[in-house]
Amino acid sequence: MSLPASILNQDPSAPGADMSRRSFLRTSAVLASGLAALAASLSPLRELDDQLSLERFVQKYYKELTPDEMAQVLKRIEREVEKEYGIRPHVRDLKPMDGVEFVYALNLTRCIGCRKCVHACVEENNQSRTPEIQYIRVLRMPHGSLDIEKAEHNYAPESVPEKGYFYMPVQCQQCKNPPCVKVCPVHATWQETDGITVVDYDWCIGCRYCEAACPYWARRFNFTRPSIPKERINPEMAYLGNRPRRMGVMEKCHFCIQRTRVGRYPACLEVCPAGARKFGNILDPSSEVAYILRTKRVFIQLKEDLGTSPRFFYYFDV
Amino acid sequence: MAGDPLTDRKPANDKTAWALRGLVVLFGVLTAAFLLNLWGRSVPLRPIPLVDPSFLDTATVRRSYANLVQAKEDLSDFDCYVCHEKNKPPVLRYDAKQNLIIPPEHSDIVMGHGEHGRNNNCFNCHNETNLEQLQTRDGRVVKFQDSPQLCGSCHGPTFEDWEAGAHGRISGYWDRKLGPFKRQDCVNCHNPHSPKFPGRKPAPGPHLLRGWFKPSATAATGH
Repeated sequence: MSLPASILNQDPSAPGADMSRRSFLRTSAVLASGLAALAASLSPLRELDDQLSLERFVQKYYKELTPDEMAQVLKRIEREVEKEYGIRPHVRDLKPMDGVEFVYALNLTRCIGCRKCVHACVEENNQSRTPEIQYIRVLRMPHGSLDIEKAEHNYAPESVPEKGYFYMPVQCQQCKNPPCVKVCPVHATWQETDGITVVDYDWCIGCRYCEAACPYWARRFNFTRPSIPKERINPEMAYLGNRPRRMGVMEKCHFCIQRTRVGRYPACLEVCPAGARKFGNILDPSSEVAYILRTKRVFIQLKEDLGTSPRFFYYFDV
Repeated sequence: MAGDPLTDRKPANDKTAWALRGLVVLFGVLTAAFLLNLWGRSVPLRPIPLVDPSFLDTATVRRSYANLVQAKEDLSDFDCYVCHEKNKPPVLRYDAKQNLIIPPEHSDIVMGHGEHGRNNNCFNCHNETNLEQLQTRDGRVVKFQDSPQLCGSCHGPTFEDWEAGAHGRISGYWDRKLGPFKRQDCVNCHNPHSPKFPGRKPAPGPHLLRGWFKPSATAATGH
Protein backbone atom coordinates (compact mmCIF):
# COMPACT_ATOMS: atom_id res chain seq x y z
CA MET A 1 0.00 0.00 0.00
CA SER A 2 1.16 3.50 0.70
CA LEU A 3 4.25 2.69 2.72
CA PRO A 4 5.89 0.32 0.23
CA ALA A 5 5.00 2.73 -2.56
CA SER A 6 7.03 5.53 -1.06
CA ILE A 7 9.95 3.21 -0.48
CA LEU A 8 9.74 1.76 -3.96
CA ASN A 9 10.03 5.29 -5.28
CA GLN A 10 13.72 5.11 -4.78
CA ASP A 11 14.38 3.84 -8.27
CA PRO A 12 18.16 3.23 -8.61
CA SER A 13 18.09 4.43 -12.19
CA ALA A 14 17.08 7.90 -11.06
CA PRO A 15 18.62 8.50 -7.65
CA GLY A 16 16.64 10.84 -5.49
CA ALA A 17 14.23 11.58 -8.27
CA ASP A 18 11.07 11.70 -6.15
CA MET A 19 12.76 11.98 -2.81
CA SER A 20 11.93 15.39 -1.54
CA ARG A 21 13.05 16.49 1.88
CA ARG A 22 9.50 16.18 3.09
CA SER A 23 8.98 12.61 1.86
CA PHE A 24 12.35 11.57 3.27
CA LEU A 25 11.45 12.86 6.72
CA ARG A 26 8.04 11.33 6.44
CA THR A 27 9.37 7.91 5.49
CA SER A 28 12.03 8.04 8.18
CA ALA A 29 9.50 8.98 10.81
CA VAL A 30 7.24 6.10 9.81
CA LEU A 31 10.11 3.64 9.80
CA ALA A 32 11.55 4.84 13.09
CA SER A 33 8.28 4.77 14.93
CA GLY A 34 7.45 1.39 13.39
CA LEU A 35 10.73 -0.07 14.58
CA ALA A 36 10.29 1.46 18.00
CA ALA A 37 6.84 -0.06 18.25
CA LEU A 38 8.22 -3.45 17.23
CA ALA A 39 10.96 -3.24 19.82
CA ALA A 40 8.50 -2.19 22.48
CA SER A 41 6.17 -5.03 21.65
CA LEU A 42 9.02 -7.51 21.99
CA SER A 43 10.08 -6.05 25.32
CA PRO A 44 8.42 -8.82 27.41
CA LEU A 45 11.15 -11.09 26.05
CA ARG A 46 13.59 -9.12 28.21
CA GLU A 47 11.96 -10.70 31.25
CA LEU A 48 13.04 -14.09 29.99
CA ASP A 49 16.68 -13.23 30.69
CA ASP A 50 17.58 -16.35 32.66
CA GLN A 51 15.03 -18.52 30.94
CA LEU A 52 17.32 -19.71 28.21
CA SER A 53 21.02 -20.15 28.60
CA LEU A 54 23.22 -21.24 25.73
CA GLU A 55 24.34 -24.18 27.83
CA ARG A 56 20.84 -25.46 28.18
CA PHE A 57 20.02 -24.67 24.58
CA VAL A 58 22.75 -26.97 23.29
CA GLN A 59 22.14 -29.66 25.92
CA LYS A 60 21.65 -33.15 24.50
CA TYR A 61 18.67 -35.43 25.02
CA TYR A 62 18.60 -36.98 28.51
CA LYS A 63 19.09 -40.54 27.31
CA GLU A 64 22.05 -39.55 25.14
CA LEU A 65 23.98 -37.77 27.86
CA THR A 66 27.21 -39.44 28.90
CA PRO A 67 27.94 -39.55 32.66
CA ASP A 68 30.45 -36.72 32.22
CA GLU A 69 27.98 -34.58 30.36
CA MET A 70 25.35 -35.34 32.98
CA ALA A 71 27.74 -34.19 35.71
CA GLN A 72 28.13 -30.91 33.81
CA VAL A 73 24.37 -30.54 33.52
CA LEU A 74 23.89 -31.17 37.24
CA LYS A 75 26.55 -28.54 37.99
CA ARG A 76 24.74 -26.08 35.76
CA ILE A 77 21.45 -26.73 37.58
CA GLU A 78 23.10 -26.30 40.96
CA ARG A 79 24.56 -23.02 39.74
CA GLU A 80 21.23 -21.80 38.40
CA VAL A 81 19.36 -22.73 41.57
CA GLU A 82 21.97 -21.06 43.73
CA LYS A 83 21.77 -17.91 41.64
CA GLU A 84 18.02 -17.74 41.91
CA TYR A 85 17.39 -18.96 45.46
CA GLY A 86 20.69 -18.43 47.23
CA ILE A 87 20.83 -22.04 48.35
CA ARG A 88 23.38 -24.54 47.12
CA PRO A 89 21.27 -27.60 46.30
CA HIS A 90 22.36 -31.21 46.01
CA VAL A 91 21.15 -32.32 42.58
CA ARG A 92 21.45 -35.93 41.56
CA ASP A 93 20.52 -37.98 38.55
CA LEU A 94 19.03 -41.07 40.18
CA LYS A 95 18.55 -44.12 37.98
CA PRO A 96 15.87 -46.79 38.52
CA MET A 97 16.90 -49.71 40.73
CA ASP A 98 17.07 -53.21 39.35
CA GLY A 99 14.20 -55.53 40.24
CA VAL A 100 12.02 -52.71 41.47
CA GLU A 101 8.61 -51.71 40.23
CA PHE A 102 6.80 -49.15 42.33
CA VAL A 103 3.16 -49.45 43.24
CA TYR A 104 1.04 -47.16 45.36
CA ALA A 105 -2.00 -48.29 47.31
CA LEU A 106 -4.44 -45.93 48.98
CA ASN A 107 -6.90 -47.02 51.63
CA LEU A 108 -10.22 -45.26 51.00
CA THR A 109 -11.57 -46.50 54.33
CA ARG A 110 -8.84 -44.62 56.18
CA CYS A 111 -8.48 -41.39 54.20
CA ILE A 112 -10.03 -38.53 56.18
CA GLY A 113 -9.60 -35.86 53.51
CA CYS A 114 -7.30 -33.59 55.54
CA ARG A 115 -5.17 -32.61 52.48
CA LYS A 116 -1.91 -32.90 54.42
CA CYS A 117 -0.50 -35.04 51.59
CA VAL A 118 -1.17 -32.21 49.13
CA HIS A 119 0.96 -29.75 51.05
CA ALA A 120 3.69 -32.15 52.08
CA CYS A 121 4.08 -32.89 48.37
CA VAL A 122 4.33 -29.19 47.49
CA GLU A 123 6.97 -28.75 50.17
CA GLU A 124 9.00 -31.78 49.16
CA ASN A 125 8.87 -31.21 45.43
CA ASN A 126 9.57 -27.47 45.22
CA GLN A 127 6.27 -26.67 43.59
CA SER A 128 5.33 -23.08 42.88
CA ARG A 129 3.43 -21.43 45.75
CA THR A 130 2.09 -18.44 43.76
CA PRO A 131 0.67 -19.49 41.37
CA GLU A 132 -0.15 -22.66 43.18
CA ILE A 133 0.83 -26.00 41.70
CA GLN A 134 -0.28 -29.14 43.48
CA TYR A 135 0.14 -32.69 42.26
CA ILE A 136 -2.55 -34.21 44.48
CA ARG A 137 -6.22 -33.34 44.28
CA VAL A 138 -8.48 -34.70 47.02
CA LEU A 139 -12.00 -35.43 45.79
CA ARG A 140 -14.96 -35.62 48.11
CA MET A 141 -17.85 -37.87 47.12
CA PRO A 142 -20.99 -38.98 48.92
CA HIS A 143 -21.02 -42.49 50.30
CA GLY A 144 -22.42 -44.99 47.87
CA SER A 145 -21.35 -43.15 44.75
CA LEU A 146 -18.25 -42.94 42.66
CA ASP A 147 -19.03 -40.24 40.12
CA ILE A 148 -15.73 -38.45 39.77
CA GLU A 149 -17.21 -35.83 37.45
CA LYS A 150 -19.45 -34.69 40.28
CA ALA A 151 -16.82 -34.86 42.97
CA GLU A 152 -16.15 -31.78 45.08
CA HIS A 153 -12.58 -30.63 45.68
CA ASN A 154 -13.16 -27.25 47.32
CA TYR A 155 -14.73 -28.61 50.48
CA ALA A 156 -13.81 -26.50 53.51
CA PRO A 157 -15.63 -27.73 56.61
CA GLU A 158 -14.50 -27.06 60.15
CA SER A 159 -13.55 -30.68 60.60
CA VAL A 160 -12.99 -33.70 58.38
CA PRO A 161 -14.08 -36.41 57.83
CA GLU A 162 -17.65 -35.27 57.26
CA LYS A 163 -20.53 -37.59 57.86
CA GLY A 164 -21.81 -39.25 54.70
CA TYR A 165 -18.76 -38.57 52.55
CA PHE A 166 -15.57 -40.29 51.58
CA TYR A 167 -12.40 -38.79 50.19
CA MET A 168 -10.32 -39.89 47.25
CA PRO A 169 -6.93 -38.29 46.61
CA VAL A 170 -5.96 -38.40 42.94
CA GLN A 171 -2.46 -37.88 41.61
CA CYS A 172 -0.39 -39.28 38.75
CA GLN A 173 -1.34 -42.93 38.47
CA GLN A 174 1.99 -43.95 36.90
CA CYS A 175 0.17 -45.95 34.22
CA LYS A 176 1.64 -49.02 32.66
CA ASN A 177 0.18 -47.78 29.38
CA PRO A 178 0.51 -44.01 29.73
CA PRO A 179 -1.40 -41.88 27.19
CA CYS A 180 0.67 -38.83 28.10
CA VAL A 181 3.87 -40.48 26.90
CA LYS A 182 2.33 -41.46 23.58
CA VAL A 183 1.32 -37.93 22.66
CA CYS A 184 4.54 -36.13 23.55
CA PRO A 185 5.93 -34.86 20.24
CA VAL A 186 9.48 -34.47 21.55
CA HIS A 187 9.83 -37.48 23.89
CA ALA A 188 10.27 -35.20 26.87
CA THR A 189 8.27 -37.62 29.01
CA TRP A 190 8.73 -41.37 29.23
CA GLN A 191 8.23 -44.36 31.46
CA GLU A 192 11.24 -45.65 33.39
CA THR A 193 11.85 -49.29 34.24
CA ASP A 194 10.68 -48.86 37.82
CA GLY A 195 7.32 -47.67 36.51
CA ILE A 196 7.69 -43.96 37.11
CA THR A 197 6.72 -41.73 34.22
CA VAL A 198 9.15 -38.82 34.28
CA VAL A 199 9.39 -35.42 32.61
CA ASP A 200 12.63 -33.83 31.45
CA TYR A 201 11.94 -30.16 32.22
CA ASP A 202 14.81 -29.12 29.95
CA TRP A 203 13.36 -30.96 26.98
CA CYS A 204 9.68 -30.09 27.40
CA ILE A 205 8.38 -27.57 24.85
CA GLY A 206 5.20 -26.82 26.78
CA CYS A 207 2.70 -27.94 24.15
CA ARG A 208 0.46 -29.43 26.85
CA TYR A 209 -0.58 -32.40 24.71
CA CYS A 210 0.16 -34.67 27.67
CA GLU A 211 -2.08 -32.62 29.91
CA ALA A 212 -4.91 -33.11 27.44
CA ALA A 213 -4.18 -36.82 27.07
CA CYS A 214 -4.12 -37.62 30.80
CA PRO A 215 -7.48 -38.97 31.97
CA TYR A 216 -6.61 -38.27 35.61
CA TRP A 217 -5.89 -34.51 35.38
CA ALA A 218 -2.53 -35.35 36.87
CA ARG A 219 -0.28 -33.04 34.87
CA ARG A 220 0.35 -29.44 35.85
CA PHE A 221 1.55 -26.65 33.60
CA ASN A 222 3.62 -23.63 34.61
CA PHE A 223 1.56 -20.90 32.99
CA THR A 224 3.52 -18.20 34.74
CA ARG A 225 6.90 -18.05 36.31
CA PRO A 226 6.86 -20.29 39.38
CA SER A 227 7.76 -18.67 42.67
CA ILE A 228 9.02 -20.43 45.78
CA PRO A 229 10.10 -18.61 48.95
CA LYS A 230 13.84 -19.13 49.45
CA GLU A 231 13.40 -20.59 52.92
CA ARG A 232 10.99 -23.22 51.62
CA ILE A 233 13.35 -24.71 49.01
CA ASN A 234 14.08 -28.39 49.48
CA PRO A 235 17.78 -28.63 48.56
CA GLU A 236 17.77 -32.40 48.08
CA MET A 237 16.96 -32.57 44.37
CA ALA A 238 16.84 -34.97 41.45
CA TYR A 239 17.15 -34.16 37.76
CA LEU A 240 13.93 -35.94 36.83
CA GLY A 241 12.34 -35.04 40.15
CA ASN A 242 11.96 -31.93 42.25
CA ARG A 243 14.50 -29.49 40.82
CA PRO A 244 12.84 -26.11 40.28
CA ARG A 245 10.91 -25.78 37.05
CA ARG A 246 10.66 -22.89 34.61
CA MET A 247 7.71 -21.12 33.09
CA GLY A 248 6.25 -23.03 30.17
CA VAL A 249 7.05 -26.59 31.21
CA MET A 250 4.91 -29.46 32.38
CA GLU A 251 5.31 -31.22 35.69
CA LYS A 252 3.56 -33.91 37.71
CA CYS A 253 3.90 -36.43 40.54
CA HIS A 254 6.94 -38.65 40.14
CA PHE A 255 6.53 -40.73 43.31
CA CYS A 256 9.16 -38.45 44.94
CA ILE A 257 11.96 -39.83 42.78
CA GLN A 258 14.58 -38.11 44.96
CA ARG A 259 13.36 -40.13 47.95
CA THR A 260 12.03 -43.40 46.55
CA ARG A 261 15.05 -44.13 44.38
CA VAL A 262 17.28 -44.04 47.44
CA GLY A 263 14.93 -46.38 49.30
CA ARG A 264 12.77 -43.91 51.23
CA TYR A 265 9.01 -43.54 51.34
CA PRO A 266 7.36 -40.67 49.45
CA ALA A 267 6.54 -37.47 51.35
CA CYS A 268 2.76 -37.81 50.98
CA LEU A 269 2.91 -41.22 52.65
CA GLU A 270 4.98 -40.11 55.62
CA VAL A 271 2.74 -37.15 56.42
CA CYS A 272 -0.58 -39.01 56.20
CA PRO A 273 -1.95 -38.91 59.77
CA ALA A 274 -4.31 -41.81 59.11
CA GLY A 275 -1.82 -44.19 57.51
CA ALA A 276 -4.02 -44.45 54.43
CA ARG A 277 -1.11 -44.40 51.97
CA LYS A 278 1.04 -47.42 51.20
CA PHE A 279 3.96 -47.66 48.84
CA GLY A 280 6.52 -50.23 47.87
CA ASN A 281 8.09 -52.60 45.42
CA ILE A 282 5.46 -54.89 43.94
CA LEU A 283 8.16 -57.33 42.77
CA ASP A 284 9.04 -58.00 46.41
CA PRO A 285 6.41 -60.42 47.80
CA SER A 286 7.10 -59.29 51.38
CA SER A 287 6.35 -55.62 50.68
CA GLU A 288 3.25 -53.92 52.08
CA VAL A 289 1.80 -53.30 48.64
CA ALA A 290 2.20 -56.96 47.67
CA TYR A 291 0.39 -57.92 50.89
CA ILE A 292 -2.40 -55.44 50.16
CA LEU A 293 -2.95 -56.53 46.57
CA ARG A 294 -2.94 -60.15 47.75
CA THR A 295 -5.29 -59.86 50.70
CA LYS A 296 -7.35 -56.68 50.45
CA ARG A 297 -10.44 -55.75 48.55
CA VAL A 298 -8.61 -53.73 45.93
CA PHE A 299 -11.53 -52.32 44.08
CA ILE A 300 -10.21 -50.08 41.37
CA GLN A 301 -7.62 -48.83 39.24
CA LEU A 302 -9.22 -45.48 38.55
CA LYS A 303 -10.91 -45.41 35.11
CA GLU A 304 -9.76 -48.95 34.58
CA ASP A 305 -11.88 -49.18 31.41
CA LEU A 306 -9.50 -46.84 29.59
CA GLY A 307 -6.83 -49.52 29.56
CA THR A 308 -4.19 -47.27 31.09
CA SER A 309 -3.45 -49.84 33.79
CA PRO A 310 -2.43 -47.56 36.66
CA ARG A 311 0.14 -48.53 39.25
CA PHE A 312 -1.98 -46.66 41.78
CA PHE A 313 -4.56 -48.82 43.51
CA TYR A 314 -7.47 -47.85 45.74
CA TYR A 315 -8.62 -50.35 48.33
CA PHE A 316 -10.93 -50.86 51.27
CA ASP A 317 -10.27 -52.34 54.67
CA VAL A 318 -13.48 -54.31 54.98
CA MET B 1 9.37 6.92 -13.15
CA ALA B 2 6.49 6.36 -15.46
CA GLY B 3 6.45 2.84 -14.07
CA ASP B 4 5.07 4.03 -10.80
CA PRO B 5 1.35 4.63 -11.09
CA LEU B 6 1.02 6.14 -7.63
CA THR B 7 3.33 9.06 -8.31
CA ASP B 8 1.81 9.64 -11.73
CA ARG B 9 -1.72 10.25 -10.54
CA LYS B 10 -2.02 13.38 -8.50
CA PRO B 11 -5.18 12.55 -6.49
CA ALA B 12 -3.79 9.13 -5.51
CA ASN B 13 -0.57 10.77 -4.36
CA ASP B 14 -2.57 13.08 -2.20
CA LYS B 15 -4.33 10.15 -0.61
CA THR B 16 -0.99 8.48 -0.03
CA ALA B 17 0.28 11.50 1.77
CA TRP B 18 -2.73 11.55 4.05
CA ALA B 19 -2.49 7.83 4.67
CA LEU B 20 1.18 8.23 5.55
CA ARG B 21 0.44 11.03 7.96
CA GLY B 22 -2.24 8.89 9.55
CA LEU B 23 0.19 6.01 9.84
CA VAL B 24 2.81 8.20 11.46
CA VAL B 25 0.31 9.31 14.07
CA LEU B 26 -0.93 5.74 14.57
CA PHE B 27 2.58 4.39 14.97
CA GLY B 28 3.40 7.24 17.31
CA VAL B 29 0.43 6.39 19.50
CA LEU B 30 1.28 2.69 19.37
CA THR B 31 4.86 3.39 20.35
CA ALA B 32 3.78 5.46 23.28
CA ALA B 33 1.32 2.77 24.31
CA PHE B 34 3.90 0.01 24.07
CA LEU B 35 6.58 1.98 25.88
CA LEU B 36 4.19 2.86 28.68
CA ASN B 37 2.95 -0.72 28.57
CA LEU B 38 -0.66 0.43 28.53
CA TRP B 39 -2.02 -3.00 27.76
CA GLY B 40 -0.69 -6.49 27.97
CA ARG B 41 0.72 -5.63 31.36
CA SER B 42 0.30 -8.75 33.41
CA VAL B 43 -1.86 -8.23 36.43
CA PRO B 44 0.27 -9.16 39.42
CA LEU B 45 -0.84 -12.44 40.95
CA ARG B 46 -2.45 -12.20 44.31
CA PRO B 47 0.00 -13.94 46.63
CA ILE B 48 -1.39 -17.16 48.00
CA PRO B 49 -0.62 -17.45 51.70
CA LEU B 50 1.85 -20.17 52.58
CA VAL B 51 0.31 -23.16 54.21
CA ASP B 52 0.45 -23.36 57.99
CA PRO B 53 3.47 -25.51 58.99
CA SER B 54 1.22 -27.61 61.21
CA PHE B 55 -0.10 -29.21 58.02
CA LEU B 56 3.43 -30.32 57.11
CA ASP B 57 4.06 -31.92 60.48
CA THR B 58 4.75 -35.64 60.27
CA ALA B 59 4.27 -36.17 64.00
CA THR B 60 1.69 -38.69 65.08
CA VAL B 61 -1.65 -37.69 66.56
CA ARG B 62 -0.64 -39.01 70.00
CA ARG B 63 2.47 -40.14 71.79
CA SER B 64 2.78 -43.61 73.17
CA TYR B 65 4.27 -44.73 76.47
CA ALA B 66 7.23 -46.05 74.49
CA ASN B 67 7.75 -42.59 72.96
CA LEU B 68 7.74 -40.97 76.39
CA VAL B 69 10.26 -43.47 77.71
CA GLN B 70 12.47 -42.93 74.70
CA ALA B 71 12.33 -39.14 75.01
CA LYS B 72 12.97 -39.46 78.77
CA GLU B 73 9.88 -37.42 79.54
CA ASP B 74 7.65 -37.12 82.53
CA LEU B 75 6.07 -40.52 83.21
CA SER B 76 4.22 -39.55 86.38
CA ASP B 77 0.90 -40.28 84.63
CA PHE B 78 1.91 -43.93 84.59
CA ASP B 79 2.98 -43.95 88.22
CA CYS B 80 -0.23 -45.53 89.49
CA TYR B 81 0.89 -46.38 93.01
CA VAL B 82 1.44 -42.77 93.98
CA CYS B 83 -2.31 -42.73 94.60
CA HIS B 84 -3.47 -46.34 94.40
CA GLU B 85 -2.59 -48.82 97.06
CA LYS B 86 -0.57 -51.90 96.14
CA ASN B 87 -2.24 -55.32 96.31
CA LYS B 88 -5.63 -53.66 96.57
CA PRO B 89 -7.50 -53.69 93.25
CA PRO B 90 -9.52 -50.48 92.80
CA VAL B 91 -13.28 -50.88 93.06
CA LEU B 92 -15.27 -49.93 89.97
CA ARG B 93 -18.57 -48.12 90.47
CA TYR B 94 -21.45 -48.06 88.01
CA ASP B 95 -24.56 -45.92 87.67
CA ALA B 96 -28.05 -47.30 87.10
CA LYS B 97 -27.46 -47.69 83.34
CA GLN B 98 -24.33 -49.74 83.92
CA ASN B 99 -22.13 -46.80 82.84
CA LEU B 100 -18.84 -46.63 84.64
CA ILE B 101 -18.61 -43.73 87.08
CA ILE B 102 -15.25 -42.13 86.34
CA PRO B 103 -13.62 -40.75 89.50
CA PRO B 104 -12.53 -37.09 89.33
CA GLU B 105 -8.84 -38.10 89.40
CA HIS B 106 -9.35 -39.73 86.00
CA SER B 107 -11.67 -37.11 84.53
CA ASP B 108 -9.51 -36.89 81.39
CA ILE B 109 -10.63 -40.37 80.39
CA VAL B 110 -13.56 -40.66 77.98
CA MET B 111 -15.01 -44.14 77.96
CA GLY B 112 -15.58 -44.66 74.26
CA HIS B 113 -14.01 -47.98 73.39
CA GLY B 114 -16.66 -50.12 71.75
CA GLU B 115 -20.29 -49.40 70.98
CA HIS B 116 -23.10 -48.77 73.45
CA GLY B 117 -20.83 -48.51 76.47
CA ARG B 118 -20.48 -52.28 76.66
CA ASN B 119 -16.74 -52.14 77.17
CA ASN B 120 -17.08 -50.59 80.60
CA ASN B 121 -14.65 -52.58 82.71
CA CYS B 122 -11.21 -51.04 83.21
CA PHE B 123 -9.79 -54.50 83.82
CA ASN B 124 -10.68 -55.68 80.34
CA CYS B 125 -7.28 -54.19 79.50
CA HIS B 126 -5.66 -52.99 82.71
CA ASN B 127 -4.19 -55.48 85.13
CA GLU B 128 -6.02 -55.09 88.46
CA THR B 129 -3.25 -56.71 90.47
CA ASN B 130 -0.51 -54.56 88.93
CA LEU B 131 -1.89 -51.29 87.56
CA GLU B 132 1.40 -50.47 85.88
CA GLN B 133 0.81 -53.30 83.46
CA LEU B 134 -1.88 -54.40 81.06
CA GLN B 135 -3.55 -57.75 80.59
CA THR B 136 -5.38 -59.55 77.81
CA ARG B 137 -8.72 -61.27 78.39
CA ASP B 138 -7.00 -64.64 78.56
CA GLY B 139 -4.72 -63.41 81.34
CA ARG B 140 -1.50 -62.67 79.49
CA VAL B 141 0.31 -59.75 81.15
CA VAL B 142 1.52 -57.07 78.71
CA LYS B 143 3.80 -54.14 79.42
CA PHE B 144 2.71 -50.63 78.42
CA GLN B 145 5.49 -50.53 75.81
CA ASP B 146 4.08 -53.65 74.15
CA SER B 147 0.49 -52.45 74.00
CA PRO B 148 -0.04 -53.60 70.35
CA GLN B 149 0.02 -57.17 71.67
CA LEU B 150 -2.92 -56.30 73.89
CA CYS B 151 -4.85 -54.58 71.09
CA GLY B 152 -4.13 -57.52 68.80
CA SER B 153 -5.65 -59.96 71.27
CA CYS B 154 -9.08 -58.66 70.27
CA HIS B 155 -8.44 -56.97 66.90
CA GLY B 156 -6.81 -59.94 65.18
CA PRO B 157 -7.21 -59.05 61.48
CA THR B 158 -6.18 -55.44 62.06
CA PHE B 159 -3.17 -56.64 64.02
CA GLU B 160 -2.21 -58.88 61.13
CA ASP B 161 -2.49 -55.93 58.73
CA TRP B 162 -0.45 -53.80 61.10
CA GLU B 163 2.31 -56.37 61.29
CA ALA B 164 2.40 -56.56 57.50
CA GLY B 165 2.59 -52.76 57.33
CA ALA B 166 -0.84 -52.44 55.72
CA HIS B 167 -2.54 -50.78 58.70
CA GLY B 168 -1.16 -47.75 60.46
CA ARG B 169 1.65 -45.35 59.82
CA ILE B 170 5.08 -46.21 58.51
CA SER B 171 8.02 -43.96 57.79
CA GLY B 172 11.65 -44.24 56.81
CA TYR B 173 12.85 -46.67 54.16
CA TRP B 174 10.67 -48.93 52.01
CA ASP B 175 13.89 -50.71 51.07
CA ARG B 176 14.84 -52.32 54.37
CA LYS B 177 18.34 -53.00 53.06
CA LEU B 178 19.06 -49.31 52.60
CA GLY B 179 17.89 -47.93 55.89
CA PRO B 180 15.65 -48.18 58.94
CA PHE B 181 11.89 -47.91 58.96
CA LYS B 182 9.55 -47.03 61.77
CA ARG B 183 6.16 -48.56 62.34
CA GLN B 184 3.93 -46.57 64.69
CA ASP B 185 2.06 -48.27 67.53
CA CYS B 186 -1.73 -48.44 67.78
CA VAL B 187 -1.78 -45.81 70.53
CA ASN B 188 0.18 -43.33 68.41
CA CYS B 189 -3.05 -42.75 66.50
CA HIS B 190 -5.82 -44.23 68.66
CA ASN B 191 -6.68 -43.13 72.16
CA PRO B 192 -7.13 -46.52 73.85
CA HIS B 193 -10.06 -45.22 75.89
CA SER B 194 -11.76 -43.71 72.85
CA PRO B 195 -10.12 -45.18 69.78
CA LYS B 196 -12.07 -43.54 66.99
CA PHE B 197 -9.61 -41.50 64.94
CA PRO B 198 -10.27 -37.84 65.78
CA GLY B 199 -11.51 -35.37 63.18
CA ARG B 200 -9.36 -32.41 62.29
CA LYS B 201 -9.40 -29.18 60.34
CA PRO B 202 -8.53 -29.79 56.70
CA ALA B 203 -5.65 -27.94 55.04
CA PRO B 204 -6.66 -25.21 52.57
CA GLY B 205 -8.02 -26.38 49.23
CA PRO B 206 -6.73 -25.45 45.80
CA HIS B 207 -6.57 -21.82 44.61
CA LEU B 208 -7.17 -20.56 41.09
CA LEU B 209 -4.47 -18.70 39.17
CA ARG B 210 -6.64 -15.60 39.35
CA GLY B 211 -9.69 -15.15 41.53
CA TRP B 212 -10.90 -17.54 44.15
CA PHE B 213 -13.15 -20.53 44.30
CA LYS B 214 -16.33 -20.16 46.21
CA PRO B 215 -16.34 -23.10 48.56
CA SER B 216 -19.64 -24.62 47.65
CA ALA B 217 -21.90 -25.47 50.52
CA THR B 218 -22.79 -29.13 50.69
CA ALA B 219 -22.83 -29.68 46.95
CA ALA B 220 -24.93 -32.60 45.93
CA THR B 221 -26.53 -35.16 48.11
CA GLY B 222 -25.61 -37.81 45.61
CA HIS B 223 -29.12 -39.15 45.25
